[in-house]
Amino acid sequence: MEQIQKTDVIVTESVMKVYDADGIPVNALNGVDLTIQSGEFTAIVGPSGSGKTTFLNIISGLDAPTEGKVWLSGKVLSEMGGNELSDFRRDNIGFIFQAYNLIPVLTVEENVEYIMLLAGVPKTERHDRVVAMLETVGLKDVEDRLPTQLSGGQQQRVAIARAMVSEPAIILADEPTANLDSKTGADLLEMMRRLNDETGMTFIFSTHDPMVMESAKRLITLRDGKVDTDETK
Amino acid sequence: MILKIAFRNIFRQKRRTILTALAMIVGFTLSSIVIGLSDGAYSNVIKMFTGNRIGHIQVHHEGYHDKPSIYKTISNYESIGETIQGNTDVEAWTPRVFAGGLGSVGEKSTAVRVIGVDVARETEATHFDKKVVQGNSLAETASREAVIGRGLAKTLAATLGSKFVVFSQAADGSIANDEYTIVGIAESGDDITDRVTCYLHIEDAQELFVLEGRAHEIVVIVSNINKVGKTTEAIKESLNDSSLEVLPWQVVAKSFYDAMQADKQGDAVARLIIMLIVAIGVLNTVLMSVLERTREYGVLKAVGTKPIQIFWLVLCEVVIITIGSIGIGALLGVLINYVFSIHGLTYAEGLTLGGVEFGTMYAEVNARSLMIPGITVLLSATLVGLFPAIKAARIMPAKAMRTH
Ligand SMILES: Nc1ncnc2c1ncn2[C@@H]1O[C@H](COP(=O)(O)OP(=O)(O)OP(=O)(O)O)[C@@H](O)[C@H]1O
Ligand SMILES: [Mg+2]
Repeated sequence: MEQIQKTDVIVTESVMKVYDADGIPVNALNGVDLTIQSGEFTAIVGPSGSGKTTFLNIISGLDAPTEGKVWLSGKVLSEMGGNELSDFRRDNIGFIFQAYNLIPVLTVEENVEYIMLLAGVPKTERHDRVVAMLETVGLKDVEDRLPTQLSGGQQQRVAIARAMVSEPAIILADEPTANLDSKTGADLLEMMRRLNDETGMTFIFSTHDPMVMESAKRLITLRDGKVDTDETK
Repeated sequence: MILKIAFRNIFRQKRRTILTALAMIVGFTLSSIVIGLSDGAYSNVIKMFTGNRIGHIQVHHEGYHDKPSIYKTISNYESIGETIQGNTDVEAWTPRVFAGGLGSVGEKSTAVRVIGVDVARETEATHFDKKVVQGNSLAETASREAVIGRGLAKTLAATLGSKFVVFSQAADGSIANDEYTIVGIAESGDDITDRVTCYLHIEDAQELFVLEGRAHEIVVIVSNINKVGKTTEAIKESLNDSSLEVLPWQVVAKSFYDAMQADKQGDAVARLIIMLIVAIGVLNTVLMSVLERTREYGVLKAVGTKPIQIFWLVLCEVVIITIGSIGIGALLGVLINYVFSIHGLTYAEGLTLGGVEFGTMYAEVNARSLMIPGITVLLSATLVGLFPAIKAARIMPAKAMRTH
């Protein structure tokens, strides 16, 4: 197998995030220093409220850290402009949200297609990829439905399909298996693992799911907004 | 794709779309009617003022308009009239003789303005017969009759059948003095005119002032008042006589014309207020719909939609609704203005504009009544849409996606 060269895709340096919850400051992240290399298959675990979602948001530029620095593929995130950041996300990051966050006015098929459309992928290629992807996640029969006409698990799968269809370099997944039955969860995990092995796609999960932790190559535990443990298997 | 999402958003939030559209449609239609009615009223006033009095175009001897004088006459007015009639847009023409003098009935006398009219032509051109509110109009052949203004009749305590004596100086310097029988009392619609004016048959007047075969003024009525400038030029060309001046009503009644123009400007204020109401309505609904969908914009941005694309998305939604609303509003505006142009809008109390009184307002269906509201609605909606569009484009995805 061809050896994929490892580079630091995400680097954080003393990242702090303080939220303002109705005047009360909440320290969601308390100085996180982490380096994530390309090709990782990493799970971030920790109790609820430990800062997992916050961390994923910050490393993808969906949120700005209160203090500290984030490098994305060697670029300082805070120095990127709005359009540049959007393009970077579009081309390099697939995000699977904890709350699915599908576009309500678009059908399943269109939701999955959307990012490729933004990126200007040709129509036939787009179509082929969407069909293949929907097949993989088992949503072929519901491609014309709107998100509101789907179950939670189905929506979760659409979100996964949307994130992966354009084969971005990095997939950030916030509890991707939380709403799936164990069979579907296992299948998807299997698929992600295969993608990771074959293409070197980087995966970062936040999870409570033992199955995900099991298959992860690296396990980072957050506690009170700090890295508690960090072990590579 | 942005357009597709915009359209779907519009159809998904039907209630909000209808509300926004309603504000625009009402605003558009209202201002369309206001413009239609006021334009109609102005046209009406102008039509009445020109058609019944000064005519649309006047022909005089060069310099008469600036400095009227009994000596500045048109000598072969019959043939000039025929030439004028030859122009396609000319409907009618009528010659007039003007002179001042002293008028008396019995012991009472006052200054009068004598107008000699060709009765048949004057009736055809300016409805002279309709101005006679008491008694009869003048006979079509000269028969020493006089019709005098209502105010003048009062001053002279004249009644129908009274003997009316005019005393003046004729064009040849001799003394002009003759007696006429009052057959009618006239109301021209302008009290000041009626206080001094008396009408004689043109031939009686010519005889009195020794102006045989001559007139001071030829009044021309055209079929299309909007083309009066062109017709004026055409008449000038066909006459080809530098000793004659051919003037459109805008020059003849300059102060009236200026007053009309100034009045029209005043309408802009009413329009502005309507547009302000529309703008506030639009701002409110658009802003609400953006706030309501903060989360969706957050998602769009999170998956890689550029801020500028989100900006366009919001603006597209506003513009699509606006164009639809303008379409519906235009239909309504034309329809309502059309109805008002036929049936008119009647005021309980008469309205006076430019010295002309009228009780029923007729609207006009014209391009202005669609263009002006169209441009203002589109402009104000787009301007107002900018603010929420910028707001949506600036959304921070993580924060936006936490809101429900
Ligand atoms: N926008 C916000 N405003 C205020 N507080 C916030 C905000 N977002 C997160 N928090 C707080 O920050 C802390 C970390 O939240 P975060 O969502 O990152 O936790 P998490 O590890 O993802 O939890 P879970 O496992 O429940 O998803 C929590 O205490 C949370 O209440
Ligand atoms: Mg979370």
